[in-house]
Amino acid sequence: MWEQVRQALSHSMIRMLSQLASLLPGIIALVAALLVAALFAWALAIILRRSLAGIDFDRRVVQAGFPAEWSPSKSPTLLVTRAVAWTVMLVGFLVGISAFDLDLTSQLVARLFNYLPNVLAAVVVLIAGGLIARFLARSVLIGAVNLNLQYARLLSIGVKWLVTVLAVTIAIEHLGIGGGIIRLAFGILFGGIVLALALAVGLGSKELVSRSLDREANKASTQNVQEPIGHL
Amino acid sequence: MELDAIAEPELERIAKLGGADLVVGVLYPQRAEETNGTGNAVLPMIREALAELPKVARTVVVCNNGAVPITTDDESLPVVSCSFAPPGPTESPQQRVFSAYRTVLKTGGQIGARGCAFIVSPSQSATHHWISRLLQPVLELGFDLVAPRYTRHKMEGLLNRSILAPLHRALYGQQLHNPMGPDFGLSGKLAQRVLVQAPRSNPLASMASAAASGAFQICETHLGARIQESTDWTNLSSLLAEVLGPVFLEIEKQASLWQSLRGSRPLPAFGSSGPLSEDGQTVDTRPMIESFHLGAQNLSDVWGLFLPPTTLLELRKLSRLPADQFRMPDELWVRIVYDFALGHRLRTVNRDHLLRSITPLYLGWIASYALEMAAAGPLEVESGLERLSRAYETNKAYLVSRWRWPDRFNP
Repeated sequence: MWEQVRQALSHSMIRMLSQLASLLPGIIALVAALLVAALFAWALAIILRRSLAGIDFDRRVVQAGFPAEWSPSKSPTLLVTRAVAWTVMLVGFLVGISAFDLDLTSQLVARLFNYLPNVLAAVVVLIAGGLIARFLARSVLIGAVNLNLQYARLLSIGVKWLVTVLAVTIAIEHLGIGGGIIRLAFGILFGGIVLALALAVGLGSKELVSRSLDREANKASTQNVQEPIGHL
Repeated sequence: MELDAIAEPELERIAKLGGADLVVGVLYPQRAEETNGTGNAVLPMIREALAELPKVARTVVVCNNGAVPITTDDESLPVVSCSFAPPGPTESPQQRVFSAYRTVLKTGGQIGARGCAFIVSPSQSATHHWISRLLQPVLELGFDLVAPRYTRHKMEGLLNRSILAPLHRALYGQQLHNPMGPDFGLSGKLAQRVLVQAPRSNPLASMASAAASGAFQICETHLGARIQESTDWTNLSSLLAEVLGPVFLEIEKQASLWQSLRGSRPLPAFGSSGPLSEDGQTVDTRPMIESFHLGAQNLSDVWGLFLPPTTLLELRKLSRLPADQFRMPDELWVRIVYDFALGHRLRTVNRDHLLRSITPLYLGWIASYALEMAAAGPLEVESGLERLSRAYETNKAYLVSRWRWPDRFNP
């Protein structure tokens, strides 16, 4: 009986090792494809970076209205070269995967392409959300400072996170992750924030808020008294 | 407001005239009590002014008379009556005035006027002498731009004194005291130039720079005291954005001209400054210093996008000073203004954000100036402002260098 057990174990070991051995060329091909893709991406990024620097891409893009601060290290060139390099790496990964099994690869590619619009939409939503969040946060910060509000930074951060959370929720919804839970969680979170603010103004912090508003109004009226000052 | 805003009968009257010597734009909003039915307080003022200008045959008047139309039987003084609706939600009173300037310029262009006068100051300060003083140098001495000089207390015209006048002086080499008027006299030639050069932008910001960029004769005339509109402190950032935005755009347009100019010269001035009433009011600088501190605490990230590290360090040091020792050095203020102009050009941050973020710094400058000039007489004030203007001139090399090589390391 022990002999049969030993044989069964030996057979399963051989089967597993042979399956692993059959995967090995595919793994080596994947690593090779990734290495070649990395080399190609690196070379392409260098060429692209030099070409874009040659045509003064950063300045032109900024002059066309794209704020440089929204790119990594304030350089649109870096943004473009990184995007191209990562696309090449993705293609290299797909080529490497195809070395395993043709059916598996075709299924994977088909699923990937079906899912791609959702991913793209989510990326666009995230980018737009990030830009809008930063723009609104800065607008609120500058406006609040100019109105002499002591909690200007808090307001700005609040607006930034509100827009960011909204954008992330929409992006996750596009990716089809979580389904109703995300919607529910967002509803609870957003509703909670609004309710907390309403309660702060209406009940709990009524006096604090009214004192704060009084102080702001007094500041404005104190400044209005300074009529000897003229600007133009 | 464009010419199509002028009523058809008035346009027909202008066409019938076949031409006029002058266009006078009275652009301040008139109150109901000033417009009495068929007549208007503006017309007697203009008749008196024209009596001092003997060579003028025909004049067209563009009035901001609200909803009341002005009529006159006097064919020698046709009146083009424009209604200035209250500003819409997206339009400020300042922007309405800018478009009113364009209406006057276009009217002048259409009738081929030899000169235009703009009266924007309220009726309490503007008199018929203002019109004749603004037009006389144009009609009799051949000047193209007659800029106003007002008799001012030390705390009046501060945006003009801290930025507009010294910046114009340093860039264009002309010691103009009020480059943005607002009351001006213009020759027809210069009016055409302003319209061509700035068909859509703010003509008020373009007048002095357009005159400086061409071979135009510029002078100043003393008009006396000007009554200030009360300051809306809650909208100070909007005022700064509306005034400085067009000025920075103009600097960008005229970059090839001002980069080659050095030094400055005084301009011919007519009349004499009138006596100034006692300036006994003191200014409470505490709220302004608080605004500056709040800005320094919260806006250093925004300022860091276009101000160099040394300037940020100086501002941080300044924010630690006790209120009675609060002084902003001239050089620091000048470099801040130059860096804002450069940041506006490079669009390193949204332009509206950039322009509005100058508000705490401007209030800091006012506080510093008020503390420094608290006990100063007119002569000390003048010498302090002269020092500031010289700082603008001295640091022009900094602006030129950063304008040409903005990516060069700047500690």
